[in-house]
Amino acid sequence: MSGGPLIVQSDKTLLLEIDHPDAQPCRMAIAPFAELERSPEHVHTYRLTPLGLWNARAAGHDAEGVVDALIKYSRYPVPHALLVDVAETMDRYGRLQLANDPVHGLVLRALDRLVLIEVAKSKKLAGMLGAKVDDDTIAVHPSERGRLKQALLKLGWPAEDLAGYVDGEAHPIELAESGKDGAKPFTLRSYQREAVEAFWAGGSGVVVLPCGAGKTLVGAAAMAEAKATTLILVTNTVAGRQWKRELIARTSLTEDEIGEYSGERKEIRPVTIATYQVLTARRGGAFTHLDLFGARDWGLVVYDEVHLLPAPIFRFTADLQARRRLGLTATLVREDGREGDVFSLIGPKRYDAPWKDIESQGWIAPAQCTEVRVTLTDAERMSYATAEAEERYRMAATARTKLPVVRALVQRHPNDQVLVIGGYIDQLHQLGEYLDAPIVQGSTTNKERERLFDAFRCGEIRTLVISKVGNFSIDLPEAAVAIQVSGTFGSRQEEAQRLGRVLRPKADGRQAHFYTVVSRDTIDTEYAAHRQRFLAEQGYAYTIVDADDVLGPKLPTVD
Amino acid sequence: MTTSLADHLRALPDESLAALLQLRPDLVVPVPADVTALAVRAESRVSVARALDGLDQFTLQILDAARLTRRPEDGTTSTDAVLAMATAGPHPPAPTSVRSAVDRLRALFLLYGPESALRVAGSVDEVAPYPAGLGRPAAELDPRTAALCADAAKVRRTLLAAPPSARAVLDRLAAGPPVGSVPPGALQAPAVGTEDDLPPDTTNGGAPTGSPVRWLVDARLLVRVSTGTVELPREVGLLLRRDCGPLGPLRTSPPPVAATPREPKLADSAGAGQTMELVRHTEALLESLAAEPAPVLRSGGVGVRDLRRLARVTGLDESATALVLEVAYAAGLAGETDLPGATATRYGADQQVLPTGGYEVWRAMSLAHRWEQLARAWLTMSRQVGLVGQRDDRDRPISLLSAEAERAGAPAARRAVLGVLADLAPATAPSPDEVLALLDWRAPRRSRGREAAHREVLTEAAQLGVTGLGALTSYGRLLLADVTGTDERGGDDPLGLRSDAESGEPSSAVRALDALLPAPVDHFLVQADLSVVVPGPPDPMLAAELDVVAEHESAGGASVHRVTTASIRRALDAGYTAEDLHALFHRRSRTPVPQGLTYLVDDVARKHGGLRVGTAGGYVRSDDEALLAEVLTDRRLEPLAFRRLAPTVLVTPYQVQRMLVALRDAGYAPVPEDATGSAVLARPKARRAPARASVTSRGADPLAAPKLAMPRLLGVVEQIRRGDAAARAARRAPAVVRGGGARTAAGPMPAHSHSDALAVLQQALRDRALVWVGYVDAHGATASRLLRPVSIGAGYLRAEDERTEMLHTFALHRITAAVRED
Repeated sequence: MSGGPLIVQSDKTLLLEIDHPDAQPCRMAIAPFAELERSPEHVHTYRLTPLGLWNARAAGHDAEGVVDALIKYSRYPVPHALLVDVAETMDRYGRLQLANDPVHGLVLRALDRLVLIEVAKSKKLAGMLGAKVDDDTIAVHPSERGRLKQALLKLGWPAEDLAGYVDGEAHPIELAESGKDGAKPFTLRSYQREAVEAFWAGGSGVVVLPCGAGKTLVGAAAMAEAKATTLILVTNTVAGRQWKRELIARTSLTEDEIGEYSGERKEIRPVTIATYQVLTARRGGAFTHLDLFGARDWGLVVYDEVHLLPAPIFRFTADLQARRRLGLTATLVREDGREGDVFSLIGPKRYDAPWKDIESQGWIAPAQCTEVRVTLTDAERMSYATAEAEERYRMAATARTKLPVVRALVQRHPNDQVLVIGGYIDQLHQLGEYLDAPIVQGSTTNKERERLFDAFRCGEIRTLVISKVGNFSIDLPEAAVAIQVSGTFGSRQEEAQRLGRVLRPKADGRQAHFYTVVSRDTIDTEYAAHRQRFLAEQGYAYTIVDADDVLGPKLPTVD
Repeated sequence: MTTSLADHLRALPDESLAALLQLRPDLVVPVPADVTALAVRAESRVSVARALDGLDQFTLQILDAARLTRRPEDGTTSTDAVLAMATAGPHPPAPTSVRSAVDRLRALFLLYGPESALRVAGSVDEVAPYPAGLGRPAAELDPRTAALCADAAKVRRTLLAAPPSARAVLDRLAAGPPVGSVPPGALQAPAVGTEDDLPPDTTNGGAPTGSPVRWLVDARLLVRVSTGTVELPREVGLLLRRDCGPLGPLRTSPPPVAATPREPKLADSAGAGQTMELVRHTEALLESLAAEPAPVLRSGGVGVRDLRRLARVTGLDESATALVLEVAYAAGLAGETDLPGATATRYGADQQVLPTGGYEVWRAMSLAHRWEQLARAWLTMSRQVGLVGQRDDRDRPISLLSAEAERAGAPAARRAVLGVLADLAPATAPSPDEVLALLDWRAPRRSRGREAAHREVLTEAAQLGVTGLGALTSYGRLLLADVTGTDERGGDDPLGLRSDAESGEPSSAVRALDALLPAPVDHFLVQADLSVVVPGPPDPMLAAELDVVAEHESAGGASVHRVTTASIRRALDAGYTAEDLHALFHRRSRTPVPQGLTYLVDDVARKHGGLRVGTAGGYVRSDDEALLAEVLTDRRLEPLAFRRLAPTVLVTPYQVQRMLVALRDAGYAPVPEDATGSAVLARPKARRAPARASVTSRGADPLAAPKLAMPRLLGVVEQIRRGDAAARAARRAPAVVRGGGARTAAGPMPAHSHSDALAVLQQALRDRALVWVGYVDAHGATASRLLRPVSIGAGYLRAEDERTEMLHTFALHRITAAVRED
């Protein structure tokens, strides 16, 4: 029996004891095929999933290697049945290939004739396959490329897409690493460089990087690699402006070359930034802005925040399979569980760096997570106790008792930029008055929003109260403290976003703080438990304190 | 002169006789009376078949050679003759191996007598017809074929003339068995003039030839032995086997295995991993059975719905789940029990499958011991689990644990298959086909037709961890040796004194497996996400503690648990205090206890017991606290055992009625109230008899005759008339109509023919007169009715019965008699 760092569980999770001397090589060995699920302080959990194994197969790892890695690092005997299962699953990828045939165009080619016969019979593929070219090849209509890949993945026979990509309309784009218009020179960080290389080698796929790790720059570098017209899809207008600003600063592109396609403006230029919202807007049941996809011969399509990609965009993406696609996200976890669609339509995961690792390289400020439990007054408890079930969360989350605690927290960080995040408008207004701070909410105009952000960025405003808009891709540099007073039912995705708000690199390397103010003994606490689990799984220190300790004369030491 | 087997046996020294009995133990069950009886038994079909079953392919072929070389005049053969035949082929086996095969056969007394005059034991020909797959000599089959065979050159010429399709048939029959069946009609010559209509024969170059078998029969190369069966004569068969020898291909040693041995450590490791899985799955399965027992079907066994449920729980597929449960059942870990109040009238009625008491003992044993108990049960259980889910002869599904999956040969099949693996070099992983080929060589008579069962054994062995990566594991080998050894030792150790299980010493298999399995650990790692990781199998104490304080999340080499609010609450309910929990985590954890966990324990403990629940028989409440204080301290009320819950509430374990009486007796004025708090008023209730009617409703003069109204009287008259008509109609039918008249008291009557009856009916129809009709009803009974015919036609009589005022229809052929009513 070897004393390896890895324990293989029968539910196909792998437990990696990180204090073990062999932990690092073991992590390198299993990272290609296992997905990191949780990374708390002592034992990291990886999971073997069909998608993960196929990702590895796509990257050229074979089943023998996977089995060897498991046996080599496993502390205990690995069950025979699990090894057989791993080998069989991996063997399913690439038995079918999508390829370009000089005569017949796009074809589905089988390395295993029986598999082709099996899938050709399937009802799910009805209408996607064309004429039989020979025993091992079936013609496929190019428009069905995406849908076919989707359906084959569902059948458990994911196809390898070797059909290549169109180059698109060429357009010169360079990274301005030497600095532009007097800006400071910069170089791509090592992991950004690796991410771009991995993406370019794979052709299409998703790069997973935490918030604040410079995903925009990865996108810009990919554009510089493609040197072609680019369509960038982002979540909202503010995020789009942010992309534009970043692209102008970091690449050779000028303002005239970048168009904005949003509810307000409809510009189509060599690089066009469009929002998901405008693309999925319907008039009379029809999507009216679909033409954008065909407006130019795009060489690259960039999807920002892939995990938020709305379902209709998947459908449009299915028709874009001949173009290179780059997905950028902080997490592949989708609340709707459509990870498989991301895999088949945008591409396999090409790069992933565990958050904690990036942090230890010094790119992200280490954050201290603290949960402050507020005891409600008797009157509040009574009204909470008698409230209707659907009202309860709102009552608990917006308890007035939270206000002095938030103020105390703000006062504890007199020299830091503080964001106060909440989900309820009324509460935000209360907070704004109480803290004497401006509010950014959904109804704030883009202009006003940018003015406030600029003021916050340069330190004129020290405290900013923001609503759910803060969840999305806006850039708030130097926010060293975030205080969350209410959220949307503890979703993991939202948590990752919020944490990302405060994890932006700090110029002086100060400690970042993430506070959550929670009403004790209410449903708010239950959601906080989810949050605690998620943050702890990401490896962050998590402390729970009572509000009295915050409000009291003696400040507790939190570290 | 010929000496019988009995004479031979009689002449043997005692040791040789004992050796025979050791080789063929079935001969002494029961002990034969004398040597003659022993000889008769040794030549009986059953005993000979048993002896042949154990022989390998080569020895059987040598026996065939002995049978073929028998001299027709006295039925004896010699070793030299056998040797000559065995080495006649192109790849002759070494004479020594042939001789040793002959020796084996002589030891079994399947051959006996001196080397120069060997005899084949009786019944061999009957048990195994067609020696070496050759047919009977032509002389026994058909004189005309015999005549052909006598002329070797002519036979050869005929063979060469055979069309290719016919030659293919011959080659198949020559390889054995020599008998083939043909479809009916295939042997008939086509009708004259239809020869051209035959389908073209592509094998023979296009021209139609008709059935190749017919050609062969016509050419006398095949003999028709019965309708639809043909046999290849021995002479022709031998001629066809020129290339491979008269006995067919001979193989003195088992077929080789192509697979290269794996690294023994890897095979052992994979197997050991699987043993842990098996034990874990068994435990999960039995736990879920304990939580929700599976009902036994009326036809026996456990239904498919429960099997699916158990499969979901264990995460295995259905066939694997079936195996685990069958093995657990065979190992005595699960059993049936009657439901309380069950009626034991039918087998399987109202029974459930539950873990047994043995399960508790099993759970307390070490991993390797637990596995050994399961694996031993599997090796010896006479169940073929692969049959579960298939359909039986009557097309009913075979259910789990039912009698239909019982196969007495299953243990032997397991040992045979594992024996094959054990005889290979350690960690050799042959393919299933290679294993089957080996089995086929070792005991062809036994393995024939059991290929499916043998494949199943291989799958099961992999699932049980007896094999790893397809090779027999080291501990599996030890276990197998142990189990087979126990059987072989059986005679020497009748009381089981030397068995490992009895002595309490772990068996060698357990020790070998123990070395491969992880040692139990007594600590865990606690993390900030409140997960608790036990990096190995937990020792029983730790497992019990974790069961209480955390939820189980993932199992395997290690186990992952999670502390939740609910689990902490459960621990507090189980009697732990917050301090106990802190101490537990502190003691067991190798890592610092995270602040979040400490906070959680304190937080839950703070709220724990915030609500108190109890039972009471009744309560007393009052807004007057002083009054309640008085009641509480009142000595007269002491028997009510009042307890003060709140300043305004007292409770008592006694019922409300008793409390009311006691309170009233003590001079208080309690008012009972109901669940909504409103007062329940209780007035005394006077007793009353049931209500009666008053006499005033009766008539004034009870003796006066009642007056009847006219309509009522008319009704009475009509009723009387109707009764009169009924009485008339009830007159008995004439004897001739009743039962054909033969048995009437009036003596024999002239036969009343059917045509007479018809004439009477027709006349009555014209006269619209009443007729007595006798007929045979649908049950064959005779009956009669007085009827007025309405119509006769289409074989039916329609007639009116005045008594019942109904129209009846009678089939004319059922009418036996008809007599005019006078």
